[in-house]
Amino acid sequence: MRSSRADIEVTTWVTKHVGGDGSGTRLFPEPIQRGDTVRTALRRFTHRFPELDSALWSPDHSELGSHIEVLVNDAVLGVAYDLDTPLVGGERITLLGQFMGG
Amino acid sequence: MSPTATTTRAAAKPAATPTFAYAGKLLRVNLSTGKTWTEAWSENDRREYLGGVGLGAKILYDEVGPKAQWDHPDNRLIMATGPLAGLPVWGTGGLTVITRGALTGGATSTQANGFFGAALKYSGYDAIVIQGQAKKLSYLYINDDVAEVRDAAHLAGKDTWETQQALETETGLAGHRLSVYSIGPAGESLVRFAAIQGDYGHVASKNGCGAVMGKKKLKAVCIVRGTKALAARDTRGLIQAADDIAHDLKTDPSTSTLYNWGTLPGVVNLSKLGALPIKNYTTNVITGVDMTEWEATKLRAGFDHRGHQCNACGMHHCHIQVIPKGPHAGERVDEPEYEGWSGAGWTIGLTDKVPVSWLNTRIDRACVDVNEFGWVCGWVMECMEKGYLTEKQVGFRLSWGDVEGAYKLLQMISHRQGFGDLLAEGVKRASEKVGGKAAECAIYTMKGASPRGHDHRGRWEEMLDTCTSSNGTMESANPTFQTEVGAPGRINPFDGEQVAKLVGMIRGRRHFEDSLGGCSFTFRTKMANLARALSAATGWDYRLEDAVRFGNRTAAILRAFNLRCGIGPDVEYPSVRYGSQPVDGPAKEHDVRKQWDHMLDVWYDTVGYDRKSGKPRKETLRALDLDWLAKDLYKK
Repeated sequence: MRSSRADIEVTTWVTKHVGGDGSGTRLFPEPIQRGDTVRTALRRFTHRFPELDSALWSPDHSELGSHIEVLVNDAVLGVAYDLDTPLVGGERITLLGQFMGG
Repeated sequence: MSPTATTTRAAAKPAATPTFAYAGKLLRVNLSTGKTWTEAWSENDRREYLGGVGLGAKILYDEVGPKAQWDHPDNRLIMATGPLAGLPVWGTGGLTVITRGALTGGATSTQANGFFGAALKYSGYDAIVIQGQAKKLSYLYINDDVAEVRDAAHLAGKDTWETQQALETETGLAGHRLSVYSIGPAGESLVRFAAIQGDYGHVASKNGCGAVMGKKKLKAVCIVRGTKALAARDTRGLIQAADDIAHDLKTDPSTSTLYNWGTLPGVVNLSKLGALPIKNYTTNVITGVDMTEWEATKLRAGFDHRGHQCNACGMHHCHIQVIPKGPHAGERVDEPEYEGWSGAGWTIGLTDKVPVSWLNTRIDRACVDVNEFGWVCGWVMECMEKGYLTEKQVGFRLSWGDVEGAYKLLQMISHRQGFGDLLAEGVKRASEKVGGKAAECAIYTMKGASPRGHDHRGRWEEMLDTCTSSNGTMESANPTFQTEVGAPGRINPFDGEQVAKLVGMIRGRRHFEDSLGGCSFTFRTKMANLARALSAATGWDYRLEDAVRFGNRTAAILRAFNLRCGIGPDVEYPSVRYGSQPVDGPAKEHDVRKQWDHMLDVWYDTVGYDRKSGKPRKETLRALDLDWLAKDLYKK
């Protein structure tokens, strides 16, 4: 039987938006509700962290902004999952700060 | 020290128009004759070619014909800065080196920082254009109106840090008062991936520009911070623009990481995307390493360190640090950039931070490109593990993570000793010479260029850029505020069509940045902000669309230069290993080869070039006001 939660993993500088120091990883178990998708779970999660909310989403909140990568089960969105893929529980959603530099 | 040749500049005539933001002159050097002279460049040319790679591309196209290979005296080594250098904008000591490079045999533009650009502008020059070949090892000394080609016999064999220290002792100047860019033994030995290193840790690294300098027998360029006045047209406007850029760097989610830690976060971040190159692309799974120890804060905290900022920079990026333990304890080294951690570390299976940090600086001091060193050394390690290369061939046993062995290999390459002589040709030529299964393990583009220090099988946009670019490295580079030019903020990174469109759409930004005389990290802001700073500095009305047009003009000129050198679409492919499907890790499901030809089709269509010939289409050139180039490219 699958878990009724997904783990939201916030990494490196993105942790600053959830009370961290900009390093390491913070793991947040997020209960999954019937009909949840990647989008709805993330919306509910970021609603609790206003700074993360504005960093993750576009200004009108319709799409993701361009500065934080979202991975589901270690794969970027657009491969096995996109924002509107239903969650069944047990997924790991990673928020990874965009990397710039060489 | 007596110079071998001295020319004092003739008194300059008053400029017909003000040269706000510019020195207004190029310094020309002919090493064959030892002569130096200056050349004014017009307001119109400044507006059209800006500086840096924009200026360099035009000079390269005009002055280096197809028969002048990288090692020919007629090849030009152009060391150019730009209009923002020396002005109060962060990181404006920028240097762009433009030449015909030794790895690809085509155009090169490669950028570094420190104090070079500011020192050059304060001496009264926007660029140095070097031609000819000296009869004996020389260095170029610049101090305001004095520009001398001096004997460098006493610097022969010194590494780049030793060279800088020797010239500091001679001149009695150091720090921001003296900028030195030099070659080490690898440049003197004409290693095809030799770099030009300066100001302790800054490297113009790509396409063997250090070999070009070595062939010209030019050991160093040494510039005393000059005393010439440099003015912005609208000082208040420039400072406002600079403040806005700095504010964005500090506060924008995507750039604050650069502001705080430079490129250090790349190791952990890229490992999660399957884009950290591990053991020569043989795996993307990390075992036995605690990656929390590789986070930026821990990387920096593990060393006693001091800030080592470039000209006018307020970032917490460049640092000098001290080796804390082991056989090299107490040595001062440059804090590795992300690419140092990858090229001198992960790529060769070395995951102990202290020896990686030490080896990285040793690579810089030898003046070797750390990316290509990683591909060469990793290739040897893998081939020895698999029995494709023998101890007898290489001269000793080299295994993954062997730092002393890697250093020994570096010495062999830098002095072209034994098997190092073959490796000094770069991994493409070396692996083709060895052949067999060994050839299939080497990472390169078919043009011969070195990929940057990533596993591009998880970053297709950079692989496509590296293979299609005309400057010996990437010319579109990371998407940065790409929505500004109408590109999507987010794409599926494994959808070839989306990738190719994005790479084509964002092209131009990098050439614009690399023409301004600053740093690609402090310029991580919207192009409109950079255009605003340029407008305030020069008095021009320069806008985003001008910047995009300028970047694409520069790319077209470099492309035309390469086509003239015989480098076309037939070599726009990754090597077997570079373009392979990962065997594990986050990108293992994705095979770029299946989509490559379609990606090229889409990219060519997006940039307005002809897929078959590789030429920019006539209408593309017309739209860029490059009719003169169209006449050249399409003459019967």
